[in-house]
Amino acid sequence: MSGEMPSERSGRHSEERAQPPAEQARNRARPEHTSGEMPSERSGRHSEERAQPPAEQARNRARPEPTSRLRIGLTLRIVAVLAVMGIAIFPLYWMFVTALSSDADLFASDARLLPDFSQFGVFVDALAEGETVRWLRNSLVIATGTTALSIVLGIPLGYALSRFSFRGKALMTVVLLLTQMLPEALMVVPLFSLFNRFELLDSLVGLILANAAFVLPIAALILKGAIDGIPRELEEAGRVDGARPFTMLTRINVPLIAPSIAAAAVIAFFHAWNEYVFAVTFIYSPEMQPASVGIASFIGEVGTPVQTVMAVAFMFTLPAVGFYLFAQKYVVAGMTAGAVKG
Amino acid sequence: MTVIEQTRAPRSEARRRRSPLGSRWTPYLFLAPAALFIALFQAVPLAQEIFLSFTHTSLLNPTSNTWVGLENYAHIFSDDEFHRTLTITLVYVVVCVVGSVGAGLGVALILNRSFRGRGIARALVTVPWAAPGIAVALIATWMLNPQYGIVNRFLNAVGLGVPGGAILDSSTYALPAILVTTTWQLFPLTSVVLLSALQAVPKDLTEAATMDGAGRWWTFQAVTWQVIKPTVGLLALLMTIWSLRRFELIWLMTKGGPVGSTETLVIDLYAQAFDSKQLGTAAAIGMVGVVISLIVIAGSRFVARAAEKENIR
Repeated sequence: MSGEMPSERSGRHSEERAQPPAEQARNRARPEHTSGEMPSERSGRHSEERAQPPAEQARNRARPEPTSRLRIGLTLRIVAVLAVMGIAIFPLYWMFVTALSSDADLFASDARLLPDFSQFGVFVDALAEGETVRWLRNSLVIATGTTALSIVLGIPLGYALSRFSFRGKALMTVVLLLTQMLPEALMVVPLFSLFNRFELLDSLVGLILANAAFVLPIAALILKGAIDGIPRELEEAGRVDGARPFTMLTRINVPLIAPSIAAAAVIAFFHAWNEYVFAVTFIYSPEMQPASVGIASFIGEVGTPVQTVMAVAFMFTLPAVGFYLFAQKYVVAGMTAGAVKG
Repeated sequence: MTVIEQTRAPRSEARRRRSPLGSRWTPYLFLAPAALFIALFQAVPLAQEIFLSFTHTSLLNPTSNTWVGLENYAHIFSDDEFHRTLTITLVYVVVCVVGSVGAGLGVALILNRSFRGRGIARALVTVPWAAPGIAVALIATWMLNPQYGIVNRFLNAVGLGVPGGAILDSSTYALPAILVTTTWQLFPLTSVVLLSALQAVPKDLTEAATMDGAGRWWTFQAVTWQVIKPTVGLLALLMTIWSLRRFELIWLMTKGGPVGSTETLVIDLYAQAFDSKQLGTAAAIGMVGVVISLIVIAGSRFVARAAEKENIR
């Protein structure tokens, strides 16, 4: 795919040059429906070409591309984009449709592909039942606590790894990376006995500690990467004034890495929001259950109507997806930085 | 408090008292809380697991351990079922890595063009990665429902229906179904990371190559691939390590069944600990997984270093 653009563009240029004005106008309007390419960009390339005669010659040599072929190429690309979007969205859309289906539609021989909004009461009913609200509240507490803890511990750790050279630094970095390969399912047994000793079983605090232990290394690496990107000169002024390193961290670095803190916070939040293994093992009283455990208990269970199950699951999914989309720019930047540098 | 103190102290004195980076203990003060935390909740538990793997220990009485040396390891490696678990883990990891990186690269190349609505397309494509694993397992199970699931309805409509439709109850189709679900959840991350790596591909270089009459494939492997290769390698490593430890999606969809056909190392470990209550065996299985991860990491470092040397030469 990647090689097609230039020839396609040159095809369009030659077309425009050769055709009468009316035809040209139509052509200029067309790509907005088909390729949707930004007009400004196109005009930019035009002027670029005018400035570089050799490039134009080269392009003309490779020119005569049949219009039908590039139209097929465009159509294929649009179909590909739509297909990928459809594949990405469909399961969650289907969750929503299932929640909003009448019994008749659900078990009919032909599937109903659109949500039936007259069934919206299922969401209201699910929320009216105290269980759902309690699950979501517990998840919220766990996720918030995990986020706060991993950010508060992660910022100084990231700062130490970024700004100082000290004995054990390499070891610390390796340890942070190695935690990435430890499965929760392996650590659940020793953590169970540890929490048993400190009476942290069946408590949200225990879950916060366990989750933070797993997400703190990621948060710290993201924050280290962010601090790496801040020029040390900014701290020099502070040093001259005799500010202590801690002051410099909180006054100079923290405000500047706010986007990365946001990224780390979102990652920490949803790690804890989605976490299942620790929650299902450490929590035994229903009042303490987070939504992940509650929703998982629906799988294979037949008593609850499918619509209710899907409605609850959708309400559990929506904050994660919505908040993620909202913070996407930072999360992707943070993840990429962490992944590339880590 | 420190701020007040410092503003009062004469500047020259402050400069004399402190070296520019503070004392040599400063970095340790910054990292101590996090280090202690990680030691307590990661290092100590890991050490305990290593110890457990050399003992006979029951879940019902976890404090009474009988030291048995390497017996647990000898036991699992002589067990045919464990060999099957290793094979399934290998298949699962390889397909997850190839599938998610491959699909991610394809999607990244599709999205690496400017077109109207690209921002929306890019945001929507990342949705699967943001969806909680529990919800994914739930909707996947419902979509694969033998009677009412949309997947069976679709497969039947196009004449590819599985007899009886019970995909997750079939030892042939359960693993592919889980692999598709996992890949669906992973490809957004790989595509987003690869998309940002593609931004580093010099546009004039690819255009020049195409102008000189180079084919798309040639341009891709001579220009694009060279730039994104390190990122692909890193993603492959991350996907490998994460796939080796992935638990909830598989556990909630099949619990490793039917008849062990989807039992990866982590599923086997959890079942040993909580169904068979054999903490020693479970720990030994876990250690096998950890050692595999370590080998993969060490191997990737070796490959990366060799590639670096090659480049310098």
